[in-house]
Amino acid sequence: MRKRVSNLAESVGAVVLVHLFASGALAAPQPPTAAQLQTGQRVFTAQCGFCHGRDAMGGETGPDLTKSPLVRDEAAGDRLRAVVRDGRVDKGMPAFRLTDAELAAVVAFVRDQKVKAESPGARRSVSVADLQTGDAEAGRRYFNGAGRCAQCHSPTGDLAGLAARLQGLQLLQRMLYPSSGRAAKVAVDLPSGETVRGALAYRDEFTIALTDDAGRYRSWPAPQVKFKVENPLEAHAEQLGKYTDDDMHNVLAYLQTLR
Amino acid sequence: MTTCTTFWRTCRRCGSAAVVAAAFALGTFAAAQSGADAWTTYHGDYTGQRHSTLTQIDPANVHQITLAWAFATGQTAQIKATPILASGVVYITSPDHVWAIDARSGHQIWHYAYPANEGFHIGHRGVAVYKDSVFFTTPDAHLVALNANDGKVKWNVVIADAKKGYWSTNAPLLVRNHLLVGVAGDFDNLPGILTSVDPETGQTQWVFYSTPPPGTPGSPSDNATGGQMWMTGTYDPQQNLVFVGTGNPTPVLNGPARAGDNRWTDSILAIDPDTGRLAWGFQATRHDTHDWDAAEVPVLVDGSFNGAPAKLVMQASRNGYFYVLDRTTGRSLLTKPFATANWATGIDQDGRPIPNPAKEPARDGRLVAPDESGGTNYRSPSFDPKMGLLLVSSHDAYGIYFFRPDHGAYGWAGADYGVFGKSALRAIDYRTGEIRWSHDLGEGASGAGVLTTESGLTFTGDTAGNVMALRTSDGATLWHSGIGRVGNSPITYLLDGRQYVLVGGGASLFAWALPETR
Repeated sequence: MRKRVSNLAESVGAVVLVHLFASGALAAPQPPTAAQLQTGQRVFTAQCGFCHGRDAMGGETGPDLTKSPLVRDEAAGDRLRAVVRDGRVDKGMPAFRLTDAELAAVVAFVRDQKVKAESPGARRSVSVADLQTGDAEAGRRYFNGAGRCAQCHSPTGDLAGLAARLQGLQLLQRMLYPSSGRAAKVAVDLPSGETVRGALAYRDEFTIALTDDAGRYRSWPAPQVKFKVENPLEAHAEQLGKYTDDDMHNVLAYLQTLR
Repeated sequence: MTTCTTFWRTCRRCGSAAVVAAAFALGTFAAAQSGADAWTTYHGDYTGQRHSTLTQIDPANVHQITLAWAFATGQTAQIKATPILASGVVYITSPDHVWAIDARSGHQIWHYAYPANEGFHIGHRGVAVYKDSVFFTTPDAHLVALNANDGKVKWNVVIADAKKGYWSTNAPLLVRNHLLVGVAGDFDNLPGILTSVDPETGQTQWVFYSTPPPGTPGSPSDNATGGQMWMTGTYDPQQNLVFVGTGNPTPVLNGPARAGDNRWTDSILAIDPDTGRLAWGFQATRHDTHDWDAAEVPVLVDGSFNGAPAKLVMQASRNGYFYVLDRTTGRSLLTKPFATANWATGIDQDGRPIPNPAKEPARDGRLVAPDESGGTNYRSPSFDPKMGLLLVSSHDAYGIYFFRPDHGAYGWAGADYGVFGKSALRAIDYRTGEIRWSHDLGEGASGAGVLTTESGLTFTGDTAGNVMALRTSDGATLWHSGIGRVGNSPITYLLDGRQYVLVGGGASLFAWALPETR
């Protein structure tokens, strides 16, 4: 019974937690009290549990917050309040109104769940060991052949050392659809004859927008201009309908050799 | 009130099949329901077609429509509810909240806030109305009856035990003196229940189980629980049958723990509203291991099939397949994919896709379409009877599904991750299952439902936050407005001679109409 809340990117929840744990005011330096954990559990269950699971280990659409590599990467920053309170509506995460105390309690709860999740028998994890069923040589052939990966990527170029940077599920997800990968480009032909180029900033049926080299956002009514989008991710989306599961595992095995 | 000789056509002509409800039940609201000035049930009528006979706004003038009013809930939660209109009052909800709004001006008449609770606050579908009561389900699976005049609580009853893991987002379905209330809950292994409540007293009349209650001898569901009926059903008064879709089995991704078909999960069921007895069932997905509820609207159509008149029920289901059944028997007439689906090896003799065992969640992950949010989801499709088209917000998407034995056999019991998807509004010819046209709605999953009108318009929303009017015959865009992501299914009504279209954008409700004439 998973009601559509649109695709919540793995990164969304992870970003939340990065900032949950990174925010100085919320870093919970003291061991949480039982009351705080209870509050955190109550708030988390009601507001976060449907998507991230009552135990924070992944639920409907939202990722397992206790396993996110980005959670461990406690980068600095305090965008937590912005992310939680404004949401990321375009990615399916609504805004939440939590007090500072509630937010701190939620952090404490998720940290506690993280400890529990790392104990034996934890549910719903995908380990690096789970993903070792592919044939790297077959994956290399697919990469250079049917998969057409080599048309854009090179094991000695952009993918050099890839396996040292990404492992397991994270690598698999990036391989299938690198949503944070290279941005699409767009060239817009204006009625004046001028062509404006830049990074695609927004596109729907009615509006096309780009960010030009000077960092300026510019938009036009889509039906009134001609434009051409070059989106390197389209090849990834197209490939999803072509991979067999073996192909997928084989290419992953090959990428794991790129250290 | 117009006398309805046949239910399906005549009552839609009356403007709302809630006329039928009114004829049996609605008492003080009856006067408001003899025209097109009402939308008194979740689907607008019992058929689930979400098709209006109104023609004031048409393809030639829709580009002129303007904002009549907007109502901001002031909450952060997106509006996912269908507004209900009765006696000139609009009722709209979000979890824990009900607002009564003047349908002419958009100003608030009253606001009810349910006490803080621990149920899932994921969304809310809307209220039901009966006489001077407004019925509201809660995140902790209660049913609250409010006084329609002032929003004061009349009574509050427990529908299911929230401590066990049940919650409710359901807009109850009123059939005579039965208020059918559904619940949800698949983070726990819970039997699927649909409860009939007396709308006067709140007393339970019967409980229907889609999967066996604890203590049932044998294992008719092959050890599966789940099959929650969390969406509002449809109703055929001639058959006196309610049609309701059931949710996925639990444990959700662990197939080996429940080898077998897992009846009646992911099914379309025909139930007698007086007794709760099952007349027939059809399983859209047997042995589901991907969270593909068949809770989507079972749309009732009196049409023709293979050249003969036929009483049909059709569903565009979350598993990516479109089904047409004979609703007198539950027999399959047509099964065809309408969205990307790679999980079946064929269709069996009963019209059910045959699951490919290789696409069950596995330790090393399986790439499966649709993803867990499905080829479509709970937001309503709409059926245009003149064109014979079911308009469905469709989602072509892939996910990766994992399961290994130590994930256990309780609740989710596995892991899955969406990879990529894009949305399109598809017009399905119900006689063939062919896609007449497809209109791109952008990357991601659109949260918008669909409304069609007799003038040949289709209202829906895209993934970017536009509400749009399309020409139903070919899908061409005729009007749009960027109001924020549409999270509900639009409705329309006529008031003081003016046609309004109501649609939720973000946490606000917008009412569109042609410019006022003086």
